[in-house]
Amino acid sequence: MTTRILAVEDDERIRMAVKLALEDEGWAVTEAATGEDALLHFQREPADVVLIDIMLPGIDGFEVCRSIRRTSDVPIVMVTARADTHDVVAGLEAGADDYLTKPFAPKELSARIRALLRRARTSEVSSPHLRFGDLEIVPEEGVVRRNGRDVHLTKTEFRVLVELAQSPGRVFSREVLLERIWGYGYFGDGRLVDVHVRRLRTKVEADPANPRHVVTVRGLGYKLQV
Amino acid sequence: MRRFRLTRRLGLRARITLAFAIGALLLSALLATTTWALTRENLLNQREDSATVIVFQNAGIVQRRITAETKPQALQSLLGDLPTPLGAQPVVFSSTGYVSLTPEFGEDALPLALRNTVVAGQAARMRFDVRGEMQLGVGVPIASIDAAYFEIIPLGDLESTLEALGVSLVGASLATTLAGAALGWWASRRALRPLAGVSTAAMALAAGRLDTRLESSEDPDLRPIAASFNDMAQALQDRIERDARFASDVSHELRSPLMTLAASVEVMDNQRDDLPDRARSALDLMVADIDRFQRLVEDLLEISRFDAGVVRLELEEVHLAELVMQAVSHSTDADVPVELDAELAGVVVQADKRRIVRVIANLLDNAAKYAGGATAVSLRQVDDGVLIAVEDRGDGVPLDDRDLIFDRFSRGTAAGRRGNNDGVGLGLALVAEHVNLHGGKVWVEGRSDGEQGARFVVQLPVEVDE
Repeated sequence: MTTRILAVEDDERIRMAVKLALEDEGWAVTEAATGEDALLHFQREPADVVLIDIMLPGIDGFEVCRSIRRTSDVPIVMVTARADTHDVVAGLEAGADDYLTKPFAPKELSARIRALLRRARTSEVSSPHLRFGDLEIVPEEGVVRRNGRDVHLTKTEFRVLVELAQSPGRVFSREVLLERIWGYGYFGDGRLVDVHVRRLRTKVEADPANPRHVVTVRGLGYKLQV
Repeated sequence: MRRFRLTRRLGLRARITLAFAIGALLLSALLATTTWALTRENLLNQREDSATVIVFQNAGIVQRRITAETKPQALQSLLGDLPTPLGAQPVVFSSTGYVSLTPEFGEDALPLALRNTVVAGQAARMRFDVRGEMQLGVGVPIASIDAAYFEIIPLGDLESTLEALGVSLVGASLATTLAGAALGWWASRRALRPLAGVSTAAMALAAGRLDTRLESSEDPDLRPIAASFNDMAQALQDRIERDARFASDVSHELRSPLMTLAASVEVMDNQRDDLPDRARSALDLMVADIDRFQRLVEDLLEISRFDAGVVRLELEEVHLAELVMQAVSHSTDADVPVELDAELAGVVVQADKRRIVRVIANLLDNAAKYAGGATAVSLRQVDDGVLIAVEDRGDGVPLDDRDLIFDRFSRGTAAGRRGNNDGVGLGLALVAEHVNLHGGKVWVEGRSDGEQGARFVVQLPVEVDE
């Protein structure tokens, strides 16, 4: 089945050019010019990856991101104006998995999408049943339970947790996590890791402010506390 | 010419103070002189009048007691009995001669003019000096025996009184002059205080604090100055913000068409092999220049954010040595050797990783464009932080260009002559901005080994965590 990408962008020519470039990669592209349009399309025909420009007329990209996240763990790439603004953190907190800044090279976008698709699939690779106190991870089924109840994670959050859980107690630097999960080299944005860990904690920790499972090792990175 | 130089040398405050002092001196000197002269005349007249009354009385006594036959000895004892004031010397001239109490007041003790006037039958008085001391001579004619009675009264005590008065008047004048100078100093300070405020505010403006304003004054004389200064500052701020916003808006607006261009040219590039030769050459040019265009827009956006004052550091813990090595290995010039201080291995600092990477990448780009590539990158620990240096073997940077080279769109005269059009001209300006944001410094010098070439040094006052 062809991979379907929902591209939300209000500038018609950018949308068409991106569509052409993504179709060259062999993907099918659904276009949406507004946030409202995007949500309608997504309800009718779920996509494998969603690309959202933050600056949209009507409901903005953050809101589209949050709406999609309420029902789906589909990988979301958002497009922001600048890398050093709060937009990036706000977008990640709204549920985006990765981001690009405009203008980006379509090759870069394809690479990001491929990394997200790979990530979405590796969660199905088999791994033993893992248990840490009240936390139970079943990588095979893509399921996490806390106190016996299912915890709903996005695919990226799940990958972060499984990556840490496969070597409990080992410290993972941001760079290592960026490379293994997002496919970035050394220069990936550490905020991707930080925001995902923060989001993960709100779901798997009894008290996210005092995490007991996913802990920060100052100056080094993160680890899963045994 | 001299005057001009003097006024130029003296400050406004000094000149106001001097004017006040000179004014006070002239005024007090005039007053003192007048006071002294009037007092002197008054005192002398008073003394002369009272003396004259006594002389007339004594002359009356003498007239009643003597005749033409009175012997000089009798006359002398008569003179001794007269109630003359202390120190006054009675003298009688008659046709027979001259009689006084003491021989030192001889015949010539009296000025001739006075003697002649009185002897001629006219009462008179006169001031004169005897051995430097002022004396008053009063003479009354005794018509009955054709004689004249004189008294010589010393005025020395008056002189010393006047002298004391003079001294205190001079003292008062000097005190007034000093007080005038002090008043001038204080008044000029008061008057110039608003100017000091204006100067401080102007310096703050020049230093880039564009929201600096003068406090509006209650004083009707100062209010217009504060108002016009603040209007000027506001206009300046508006203008600078408008320029900054313009650059930022332009770059923002450029991004959308650039995005379309970049994506479209990539789609064409995917079909590169199917294109005719000429179209392929044109496509290659487009790909290259869209890339250049993209970097220019990114740099413009970056630098316009500095101008808009909205940049902030995203500090995180960074393994410095690794950061430098990674930055070099991902740059256009990945083979450049990196020299590290052993003590910096494993050191973690607080820094904005993205900006430090840009700094190193831009310095390496600069070396690649203008100096045939960097020869070494070094990282050293110094007392107040770390030094990151990039060396090349190019022509070096002339002394005159060493500051200019960090200005925007300035490539230095030497680099411009080479006709290399690939540079955008913002790379080093951005290096300076990123480094300043970290509180550091960047400069260019000659190579440390004395050979030809340039050495760009970034000093970062980083806090070492370990």
